[in-house]
Amino acid sequence: MAILEIKHLSKYFGGVIAVEGFDLLLEEGRIEAIIGPNGAGKTTIFNLITGIYPPSEGEIFMDGHKLTGLQTYKISGLGISRTFQNIRLFPDNTVIDNVSTACHQQANYGILEGFIYSPRRIREEKEIRKHSLRLLEIAGLADRAQENARNLPYGHQRRLEIARALALNPKLLLLDEPAAGMNPEESQQLMVLIRDIKKEFNLTVLLIEHHMEVVMELSDYITVIDFGKTIAKGTPQEVQSNQKVVEAYLGIGE
Amino acid sequence: MTIYTQGILFLTSINLISVLGLSLLTGFTGSFCFGQAGFMAIGAYVSAMLAKFLSVPIPIALVCGSLAGGLISIPIGIPTLKLKGDYFAIATLGFAEAVRLVIENLQQFTGGSRGLPSIPTIKNPMGVVILGIIAFWLVRNYISSRHGRNCIAIREDEIAAQSIAINTNRYKLISFIINGMLAGLSGGLLAHYVGFIQPSMFGIPKSTELIIMVIFGGLHSVTGAALAVIILTSLPELLRAAAVWRLVLYGAMVIFIMIVRPGGLVGSWELNWPSFEKLRCWINYHIIKKSQE
Amino acid sequence: MILQQIINGISIGAVYAMIAVGYSLVYSVMNFSNFAHGEVLMLGAYAGFFAMTSLGLPLGLSIGLAMLGGGIIAVTIEKIGYSRLRKRQASSLYFMITAMGFSVFLQNFAIVTIGPNFRSYPDVFPITPYLLGNIAIGRLDVVIFLITIIALSLLTWFIYGTKIGTAIRATSYNPKVASLMGINPDLVIAIVFFLAGATAGLGGVLFGIKYTVYAWMGVLTIKAFIAAVVGGLGSLPGAVLGAFVLGITETFAAGYVSSSFRDLFSFALMVIIIVLRPGGLLGTVTQEKA
Repeated sequence: MAILEIKHLSKYFGGVIAVEGFDLLLEEGRIEAIIGPNGAGKTTIFNLITGIYPPSEGEIFMDGHKLTGLQTYKISGLGISRTFQNIRLFPDNTVIDNVSTACHQQANYGILEGFIYSPRRIREEKEIRKHSLRLLEIAGLADRAQENARNLPYGHQRRLEIARALALNPKLLLLDEPAAGMNPEESQQLMVLIRDIKKEFNLTVLLIEHHMEVVMELSDYITVIDFGKTIAKGTPQEVQSNQKVVEAYLGIGE
Repeated sequence: MTIYTQGILFLTSINLISVLGLSLLTGFTGSFCFGQAGFMAIGAYVSAMLAKFLSVPIPIALVCGSLAGGLISIPIGIPTLKLKGDYFAIATLGFAEAVRLVIENLQQFTGGSRGLPSIPTIKNPMGVVILGIIAFWLVRNYISSRHGRNCIAIREDEIAAQSIAINTNRYKLISFIINGMLAGLSGGLLAHYVGFIQPSMFGIPKSTELIIMVIFGGLHSVTGAALAVIILTSLPELLRAAAVWRLVLYGAMVIFIMIVRPGGLVGSWELNWPSFEKLRCWINYHIIKKSQE
Repeated sequence: MILQQIINGISIGAVYAMIAVGYSLVYSVMNFSNFAHGEVLMLGAYAGFFAMTSLGLPLGLSIGLAMLGGGIIAVTIEKIGYSRLRKRQASSLYFMITAMGFSVFLQNFAIVTIGPNFRSYPDVFPITPYLLGNIAIGRLDVVIFLITIIALSLLTWFIYGTKIGTAIRATSYNPKVASLMGINPDLVIAIVFFLAGATAGLGGVLFGIKYTVYAWMGVLTIKAFIAAVVGGLGSLPGAVLGAFVLGITETFAAGYVSSSFRDLFSFALMVIIIVLRPGGLLGTVTQEKA
């Protein structure tokens, strides 16, 4: 069953073609990747999926729901979580609060209960705390729960962002360059983390990445973009040997 | 209790209630509100006119003033909160100025720029102090709740907040309404303390003064804001002579704080049970030490 | 009668244009509203005033002094305050608060040192206006209009015709890429603030000559903001257009409704634009990249 369906997606910024004619059929339970040179339009696609701005053309469906035109918070509420290319954490918030804030599934108490400590609130806050610590453990950050997020080293920040994204209990996880700035060892740990959470939380993952080993090892299927247009699609082996891809990248390969 | 002490208690509590709203709206939700005085004016005039002309008992008049402040936030907030912070700041400023202009021009009802005298007053400050403490407790609770976390998320990074399913416009509006109600209450209390109100009491200087208190106390702490209110309300009474220089100093301090210590007085520290416990232990320890000497 | 109002609107619009342009310039490069802009214009107005009265300098030299002073003060504010926030990549809330801090400091400093009295520039031009049929056009207004046109033309030439101007525009589109191209963002920002301060100083003198000089002139920042918003925040031609629209709207409101509600109409104008066309008359809405 296709969890994400993108049909003929295009985005123009004035005269600039950011994305043109992008198609994707993402089956449930797969890990797929979008790769391409810098500025090719990959993050724009993520932004379009999550509703940061509307597409100029095309439609996006998730589980049959039409996403195009919905506001970002509604789309996140439907089960799509993402991380950001430039890391968007809540810097002056603690590590655990970064995750707790996203624990909407565990909490339902209303605005009025925000003013008093009702039994329901106390109960739900306990749940939230439990769930947050669990996620921090998975991300290897439980011992730093009370630190301010801005004080974490870079690699830890990326993992915190993933932990936060998981707190929403998503069906689809969009990761925007999760391995950026990581050394080979950290990239390995990241790959293990992604595989683990995919299994444990039954996720479908769509990945943007420049680290080629990460992409080739993790992905079931890859779409290659250049200048906003799709230039190749296929399994990792097919894509690696595709002449157009090699040309577009010219020397990428780590 | 001297009139002087009474005055300090009244003014501190009145300012505190208003600043609590601002702390939530600007400090924790990140929406820079430059028009607090406008909401206070609405609360003040609604409450004062109800009590004076319609003989409404003061508590009910205050509730009405508070509700008025909250209600007016809705049409102001809906179009402006979804825009960038600058627009909201200037829009709230414009709102406050508009309120002042309207009050000045409705002379038959409001007394215009000459003001509204002979408002029924509250004699005992303790009720107001208790109101202030209750308001502090309520706001403190809200901020430590999941709603408070959502507000903080909006302040820290609105796009990230949306991507974790927070309806940012709704939460900003809620903070705005809560602020409107608190400011309206504060304005009403001011009216029933002084017994006289005029539009010039609710101008840009008032709004600025309140924002400065939030900044001093720390944009990330309600306790800090409360401390700042206490210090900055009592201090000017002692520094009457240097009154004109006070604002120059405030301006310099705001710049200094923003550059050096944006956390203000206390950073993110909040009054909570662990620190009470620590304080209690510390006191006990020293009492025991003293008794052993 | 209507034509007279329009002429009046244009003459105040010219002053607003001078003020709004500097404001929009800073916004286009720094992406935040410099609430201290009005205080720079106030200090420029005083500088010009004292140059003419205490130092006895002629108008032209006084204006030059005001512009120089305004530029220097603006750059100083940037270096002391905003640049440190930039280095920390602070959110725009902190910028606004810092701007407010400077505004409060400078305004009250002026009140305490220079004094709260209103000052009038000496009459440099004969009061009798030019008459065009039934319409009176003050000589002062003509001069102000001409000065504004000249100043704006020079500014436009500078921004669009010189290398430095191109650097400024590049930085306003994308600071990171601009710095990769060898443009020093700190230098560009300093130049931008100097220009903004200089135009503010000029605007302050013009306002002072047309009306009076007083320590609260900083409230004109709001007019600058409204003009910039109406025309399109960040767009320089937009700021100018917005300023004239604002000036004409205000004059009509004061003439046909009530002068005490004049400011209300300015805000109403802004609200209408925000609701109907948030990008302003000339601007486009830019979306934040994720």
